[in-house]
Amino acid sequence: MKVLLVDDSGTMRTIQKRCLNKLNVNDIVEAEDGVQALAAFEAHTFDIVLSDWNMPNMDGLTLLKEIRQRNTTIPIIMITTEAERARVVLAIQAGVSDYLVKPFTPDGLRDKLERWVGCHV
Amino acid sequence: MSAVVTASATSRMTAEYVNPVIAATRTVFSTMLNATATRTGLSLRSDPSEVSQPSSGVSAVIGLSGQAAGTLVLNLTSSTAIEILHRLVGAEVTQVNSEVCDAVGEVTNMIAGHAKAQLAKYSLLISIPNVVSGDDHTVHFPSNVIPMVLSFDSDLGPFTIEVGFSNLPVK
Repeated sequence: MKVLLVDDSGTMRTIQKRCLNKLNVNDIVEAEDGVQALAAFEAHTFDIVLSDWNMPNMDGLTLLKEIRQRNTTIPIIMITTEAERARVVLAIQAGVSDYLVKPFTPDGLRDKLERWVGCHV
Repeated sequence: MSAVVTASATSRMTAEYVNPVIAATRTVFSTMLNATATRTGLSLRSDPSEVSQPSSGVSAVIGLSGQAAGTLVLNLTSSTAIEILHRLVGAEVTQVNSEVCDAVGEVTNMIAGHAKAQLAKYSLLISIPNVVSGDDHTVHFPSNVIPMVLSFDSDLGPFTIEVGFSNLPVK
């Protein structure tokens, strides 16, 4: 299982990476924004994408649309502070697979990630 | 009479955005930091000279735009900021560094994001947080904004949040 982990906060990437490691997922490529993420997506084959929304250079919604133009089936999970219904609807319309709102509890993050990576490890 | 009406409307609008910020702060501290944040004070920086009072420690600034324009500033002592990084990822550091600033920025991002979800009718967008640190730094609000100052105490130490909007419409 290879994961593309996208968040401009190194702290948030560390939190998610440790959770993935506990689920025995260790093949993780990190990106700080949508531009880096899209370059990584074109250079590697991933099984799942975890992405923040608000990031510099290219935001997560734009990244989601770009990836969906290249791959319609890969699971893309947005992990973001964007909680308003209108924003979630935008992500759904763009093809998001699942959604987790920050702040989250450790159990909430683990349950969400386990649902998507658990069957592959 | 009109002055009373104006004051009343101002109070209502202030409560409308201050209460979501207080609730968001408590939620983020309890959920992400396993800490309790208790509000210890609420004041209005009515004296313009107070707006430029220098702060020490770490300040994270987030802009809000949309049908209203505002600014939210989280200011922490250095020790509180260091403890935030420790609570989030377990890192042990002795002074404020880029990791500490990143952690404070992310906590501020979550507070602003959670608060704006309660203000959905204003269709707000939040900026990427900017973080400044050091003694005697100053965060300036726009000249037409008188921010509310929310003081908190917590398991991690004391902190303040300043928040102000320049054109919150009546809805």
